[in-house]
Amino acid sequence: MTGRKLVIALAGNANVGKSVIFNYLTGLHQHIGNWPGKTVERAEGTLHFKGYTIDIVDLPGIYSLSTYSLEELISRKYIAVERPDVVINVVDASVLERNLFFTLQLIELEAPMIIALNQMDMAKKKGIEIDTKKLEKLLGIPVIPTVAIKGIGIFQLLEKAVEIIEKGRMAKHVEVKYGWEVEERIAKVTKMIGEIQFWYPPRYVAVKLLEDDEEIAREVNRIDPQIVSTAKKLANEIENLHGHSCSTVITSERYEAAGRITREAQKLVSPIKPPIEERIHTLTTHKLMGYPIMAFSLLLMFYFVFTFGDYASELLNNFFYGLEPLFVSLFGTGIVGKLVWGGIIEGVLAGVTIALPYIVPFYLILYFLENSGYLSRIAFLMDSAMHKIGLHGKAFIPVMLGYGCNVPACLGCRIMETERERLLAAFVTTLVPCAARTVIILGLVGQFIGIQWALMLYVFDLLIILALGRLAFRTLPGEPTALIMEMHDYRMPHLKTVLKQTWFRVAEFIKIAFPLIIVGSLAIKFAEILNLLEPIATVLSPVTVMWLGLPVITGITLIFGVLRKELTLIMLAALLGTTNFAQVLTPVQMVVFTLVAMFYIPCIATIAALVREFGWKKALFITVFEIVFAISLGGVALRVLALTA
Amino acid sequence: MERQGSERLEVPLTALRDGETGIVTSIKAGRGGGWGRGWGLEKRLMDMGLTPGTKVTVVESAPFHGPLEILVRGSRLALGRGIAERIFVEIEKE
Repeated sequence: MTGRKLVIALAGNANVGKSVIFNYLTGLHQHIGNWPGKTVERAEGTLHFKGYTIDIVDLPGIYSLSTYSLEELISRKYIAVERPDVVINVVDASVLERNLFFTLQLIELEAPMIIALNQMDMAKKKGIEIDTKKLEKLLGIPVIPTVAIKGIGIFQLLEKAVEIIEKGRMAKHVEVKYGWEVEERIAKVTKMIGEIQFWYPPRYVAVKLLEDDEEIAREVNRIDPQIVSTAKKLANEIENLHGHSCSTVITSERYEAAGRITREAQKLVSPIKPPIEERIHTLTTHKLMGYPIMAFSLLLMFYFVFTFGDYASELLNNFFYGLEPLFVSLFGTGIVGKLVWGGIIEGVLAGVTIALPYIVPFYLILYFLENSGYLSRIAFLMDSAMHKIGLHGKAFIPVMLGYGCNVPACLGCRIMETERERLLAAFVTTLVPCAARTVIILGLVGQFIGIQWALMLYVFDLLIILALGRLAFRTLPGEPTALIMEMHDYRMPHLKTVLKQTWFRVAEFIKIAFPLIIVGSLAIKFAEILNLLEPIATVLSPVTVMWLGLPVITGITLIFGVLRKELTLIMLAALLGTTNFAQVLTPVQMVVFTLVAMFYIPCIATIAALVREFGWKKALFITVFEIVFAISLGGVALRVLALTA
Repeated sequence: MERQGSERLEVPLTALRDGETGIVTSIKAGRGGGWGRGWGLEKRLMDMGLTPGTKVTVVESAPFHGPLEILVRGSRLALGRGIAERIFVEIEKE
């Protein structure tokens, strides 16, 4: 028993089963956070094996180690700088060539590594047979065939990893060789680098300089600008020889190398009939059938989530409020009791009764769909629609999430490629009527004016999203990105992985939303105890009464609505002393009130999510903008509706 | 027949019909106002396997000016139309 600590990193393309392997290895001992100062997720876990304490770091799923995306840069730096004891490169056997392109880049980084050749079963189904022994020889790296979803090969993987570490520096893997005209120039640059120490190996630095890699050029420039300028000159020579940029030439040749190895190691036998996955794919992306199937699946999902959510939420509410008398008998109804119950406990309850019943099933289904591959098909189908607001297909996923709750929707914007795109998508999602707003729309307009008016509000919301989305798209500097997305083969999701992903997301939601909800409800409770609410409502009355034509007390309800939007309606009933809103509000007032409630502010939890993802400034800007926008909209709506009424 | 023998035709990927295959000749990103430069469009596409000389098959293009589904190096990709218009391929006509 040495008790020695080891670090193993998992690296590979997206959707190759990396997180399934990660879950198998680490079980419950995992921790998900962010890379320091970045919005990129960092999953880490520990396990004990043969007397070692092994730290497993799950690097983001990426296709390359260039520096255009944060994920790629982080992964590359981690491997070069932190130097994990071994890198397990998870490779999708059914898309070997593209995966090996990444493997070759890891090899160039000269990281000690082994390959987990995953999804062997899927490959076989597609008629792909891989000679692992041959692959091992061609790469000079141990290859362990795995079927992660069934846990096959995981133990061998660990054994091999430990064996390699124990043997000291590993067996030599092959060198990735380029054409002579490139090799010649790599040699020149490598010679210039000579003894200078970088985080990266000298040959790697040379190749990357020729590839015009910004990060490495910057680093080398600090020490010897001569090297960078020479590399530029040499790269130009290659460009003149080939008629393509040097980076294109190198990438092509790297891919050629991956292709050669693939052709040698794999054998294709065409399957007798197209597998069922293939037929589902054709159907779900079909020009005609794809859309109704999508609409049906999404409706089914929302129906299930809301039905289950309402039921569970009521159960929880009844349970907790059933405890209120007990609580009162303990703390009394004095100021302290009021603050603790009305502030803290009700705050927590608000969170719990939203988080558990709605967010949990929502995430469960979402991750199920994502891991199965269906979400990427939805993004494919919705791409042209999302372009109307300057975003691409992937942005539909957070927007869809927004209909459940804006908080996960904001966090879900991480799937977008650039900061600009993330912000645009997040802004749009805050305009999506979430479950709480649905309560208001259906409970007020739907019930007292008519369901067709409620539906019109939804359509109107879409128009607003379209208009504001376009406006934001035009005003925000930077260039748009577009859809480049892999659609991996359909597969059965690994349930434990889905559960775990759900759990981490729910925990994240609790961490982000709860503190602010509690602080917010305490503040409001304070104001209530100090009898400040009515003065505040009076102060707000120029806006609420004169501009929006609503009763004075709506000022109070709108303040409560910041905590969670359905409170605007619940408080309205409480303050007006009736749930028959038709007695106290005119239809026009109902529409105006609902419109304002829909847009007037992202709720406090959403603001917290915005702050976390984009910082105070941007969150504040979005919040203020939406307040001004909603009030203007409400006033205009009042005047327009008054004309038609 | 105005085209004879193995004359080569260079067209954007969007010109291929469903099921047709072409060979990538170039990616014209970065030109015209720097579209795609900042997020490394060209590099991203090549990293996904769309290097010059690679065979690409258009499986299907989505309606309403939607994205293209393509097969490249054994993987299935969805590409926005704006991107696909910048990828030039060569079709060999017999």
